[in-house]
Amino acid sequence: MTTAEVIFDDISKFYGEVLGVNRVSLRIPPGITSLVGPNGSGKTTLMNLLTGLILPDRGSISVLGVSPRDPETMMRFTGYATQYDAAPRWATGFEFITTGLLLFGCSRAEAEEKAWKALEWVSMTEAAHRKVAAYSKGMRQRVRLAQAIAHNPQVLVLDEPLNGLDPLVRAETIALFRAWAAEGRHVILSSHVLQEVDVISDQVILIANGMIVAEGEIRGVREEIHDHPSQFVIRCRDASRIAALLFNEDHVTEIKLNDDRQGMLVLTKDREQFARALSRIALAGHEIDGVVPADENVDALYEYLIGGGR
Amino acid sequence: MTATISFRARQACTIARVELRRAFFSKRSFWVYLLALFPAVVFIGHGIEAKIDRQRWSAKGFTPAALLDGIKQGETSEAVRGRLGTPVSDEKWDHRRRVLREGSGKDSEPRVWEEKREQRRRLTYFDGRRRADLWFENGVLRSKSIRPLLNLEEDRQVFAGLFQYFYLRLAIFFGCLGIFMNLFRGDMLDKTLHFWFLAPIRREVLLLGKYAAGLVAAVVIFTGGALLCFAAMLWPHDPGEVQVYWQASGLSHAFWYAAAAALGCVGYGSVFLAAGLLLRNPIVPAATLLLWEAINGFLPATLQKVSVLYYLQSLCPIPAPMDNSAPAFIRMLLSPAEPASHFWSVAGLLALTALVLVVAARASRRIEISYSTE
Amino acid sequence: MAVYRRGYQRYQGPLTGYWARFLVAPRFAWERLFQQRQVVILLVGAMIWPLFCAVFIYLANHSELWAGLGGGFKNFLEVNGKFFLVFMNAQAVFAVLLAALAGPGLIASDLANNALPLYFSRPMSRPDYVLARLLVLIGMLSLVTWIPGAALFFMQVGMAGRGWFSENWRLGVGVVAGFLIWVLIVSLVALACSAYVRWRVVAGGLVLGFFFVLGGVAKMVNTVFRVEWGSVLSPTAAMYQIWCDMLDVETPLGLNTAECIGTLVVLGVLLVVVLERKLRPVEVIS
Ligand SMILES: Nc1ncnc2c1ncn2[C@@H]1O[C@H](COP(=O)(O)OP(=O)(O)OP(=O)(O)O)[C@@H](O)[C@H]1O
Ligand SMILES: [Mg+2]
Repeated sequence: MTTAEVIFDDISKFYGEVLGVNRVSLRIPPGITSLVGPNGSGKTTLMNLLTGLILPDRGSISVLGVSPRDPETMMRFTGYATQYDAAPRWATGFEFITTGLLLFGCSRAEAEEKAWKALEWVSMTEAAHRKVAAYSKGMRQRVRLAQAIAHNPQVLVLDEPLNGLDPLVRAETIALFRAWAAEGRHVILSSHVLQEVDVISDQVILIANGMIVAEGEIRGVREEIHDHPSQFVIRCRDASRIAALLFNEDHVTEIKLNDDRQGMLVLTKDREQFARALSRIALAGHEIDGVVPADENVDALYEYLIGGGR
Repeated sequence: MTATISFRARQACTIARVELRRAFFSKRSFWVYLLALFPAVVFIGHGIEAKIDRQRWSAKGFTPAALLDGIKQGETSEAVRGRLGTPVSDEKWDHRRRVLREGSGKDSEPRVWEEKREQRRRLTYFDGRRRADLWFENGVLRSKSIRPLLNLEEDRQVFAGLFQYFYLRLAIFFGCLGIFMNLFRGDMLDKTLHFWFLAPIRREVLLLGKYAAGLVAAVVIFTGGALLCFAAMLWPHDPGEVQVYWQASGLSHAFWYAAAAALGCVGYGSVFLAAGLLLRNPIVPAATLLLWEAINGFLPATLQKVSVLYYLQSLCPIPAPMDNSAPAFIRMLLSPAEPASHFWSVAGLLALTALVLVVAARASRRIEISYSTE
Repeated sequence: MAVYRRGYQRYQGPLTGYWARFLVAPRFAWERLFQQRQVVILLVGAMIWPLFCAVFIYLANHSELWAGLGGGFKNFLEVNGKFFLVFMNAQAVFAVLLAALAGPGLIASDLANNALPLYFSRPMSRPDYVLARLLVLIGMLSLVTWIPGAALFFMQVGMAGRGWFSENWRLGVGVVAGFLIWVLIVSLVALACSAYVRWRVVAGGLVLGFFFVLGGVAKMVNTVFRVEWGSVLSPTAAMYQIWCDMLDVETPLGLNTAECIGTLVVLGVLLVVVLERKLRPVEVIS
């Protein structure tokens, strides 16, 4: 089933001296895949490479077995809503989508019907006959989404699709993505916010500084990086004393005391030894109010993977 | 579904239709229309003026032609009026200027400026066909010009000069620059070029579609403008005279002017399309090209042949009159190359265009979307 | 929860002085302009001709250096209206080139990147903005026009003495005033072009095209109508005529100076109208 995947093979892209992405290799199966990373990490670069808007300096890309250098074939089953917040000045929302569809070889009636359906999907029928240039940001975002899905693509690439949408439309849009993924299509989207896409994604790709830091399910990602120190938050009365004791242990790499001296954050390389050490300390009569693992949530993971990479 | 030739042609048509609408109806095209139609407006203005003059002056009666020819330099205005009668038009005005007083500023004398006042006067007489303009300074005839009110031969020369110096060099050049550069660079500026790239079309098809749109627009506007101007030039003249000219060579002249305008659009269009596609700052090559075409006349004959203008000028039916306001030594330097034959001109231009388009098509496959660096 | 009570209040604290605020824009723009290599090269190139002229003035005032060369030379080496006219013509071309190169970057990129709201959200009005931009250009063009012009004039005064000054003070006034008018016109053209097309490089071409095409139009009107007044349509010719009048030089153009002034005024008004219509922080799309 190689041709049912989107494959990046050792892709590098430089903008002059600026690194876009570096030696990225990925296989993206059908379903919802989220690219997550901070500003300037290379998400847009990856998506533009995938759709052939820019060309890689090294490596090759295959979208369901087709190269992006052949837009005539590839764009037939690929839709891309870019991050560029622009639309032709001449067109209304409806004309904009219809014109795009005419290039697929649709007859005018067929194109208009499909365009209307796409506009219905994103609830944009009311403003359909106004100039796109006069739309608000969220409206433009939606019309670009409609343009990307109008031809029923197998691979849908969306750069920050939830950006600028109000909560109602956001929920509808997410539902739409789910429905599309359920049909066995690729939905590849990007975001800065891990929580936002965490719940809807089948797969997450974390990217920082142009390199893939992790990929897979959130939980799986967490396990893969087992050698990374676990974080625990300890609440206690006598924090500095306990910190001193913990610091004698080999497996503890870092301790951050809270300002109120009532707690601390501990990084350890070995959970089990840490647990034993803690019980020793407790048995020695030091009062410990609670221990909570700090990095089971996505925030901490993000912070670790991406923050550390900066 | 495999893409066939006819499918691609349909795509190119769709692109061309969209772009055509922009080329014809966008606000910016107003200036292109103005460039293309202004010469016609000027000729129409000239025609109207001549007709009105003839009508008004005829009402005042004619001066015998022999009297007009007998006017001599140095006659006074009163003498002329006495002999020829009331002129059809008589204008008087004062001309003031500051001059050095006689004798001052010589040797060690201080310079003294004084205001000198001259009375100037222009008398115009009309013999039914020719007008005589007589300029007097302080009552003495300084210069005169006697010429037909309307002269087809002369107007055709004027048109030939205007077509080559204004129409080909400036109007079509800048018009094509505006239209064709806008096709790709304009989209990049609006940050909308990627919408074309995201459609299932080959880049070559996109290029051809856009070129076709620009070409249709430019050819319609400029060939139409040239023909309109030609018609406007003929319009005020005596219908019989025009008829004779039309049957002798007029039709072929009109055809070749139109052909030169159209081929100008073809040639300059492809060059500017490629420039807009390939270069971040297309103004520098445009300026270079303009300069190249402008100094073209001073170059050795072989180099002259490496320019769009050379072929276009070879197509023009009447060689442009030399600009006689240019200093004599410059005119001496001009050595027009032997014009190419019509066949070779057309073939040369088309070959040049094809070459440029092929280069542009190959380049278009490597174009990347990068709006930030405009 | 009476949140509405805490409504928006505009800033009421002290502002810096008007001129200090106003000059912020030109200050930074100049800095940026002089970092552009092409601009600097052109500026340096524009200084060559004034240097030649300075040498000319020096020679003209030191007759002992060429005493043996005969009388024709004496007539040639005279610092008069014609001399300044030739000087002004050359510098005027440089002014246009400089404006075409440096002018569009001032406004076109602001419009293309929607930067105007950023300016107008500060205590700066639309006329302020235009004036500030105009000041940038006028300042830069002054470097190649009336400043070297005035320098040459005073050099001549210093060498030829008071007598020359009292006879020819009109030349000095003519050079400075004539250049100021030209600089103003050229700057306005550059700003209006860049506000109109919003695209830096094309605006530069348009500035050049403006002077080229109007020159062509003027010539066309002249040949078709067999007249001379057509030259009025070309700002270059109109300006030349006005300069000739200011410097008391006979002109071959045969234009009416009042008409020329009229053309330039009309042109200026049209350019201001273009600026007023095109320089808006938001564009209403219908
Ligand atoms: N056209 C360009 N020219 C030069 N550098 C670029 C260009 N586009 C992107 N870059 C650089 O490439 C890197 C990756 O940019 P990219 O746009 O892919 O980031 P991103 O992850 O999409 O960021 P954001 O979340 O802000 O959209 C950045 O350092 C950026 O500065
Ligand atoms: Mg991005």
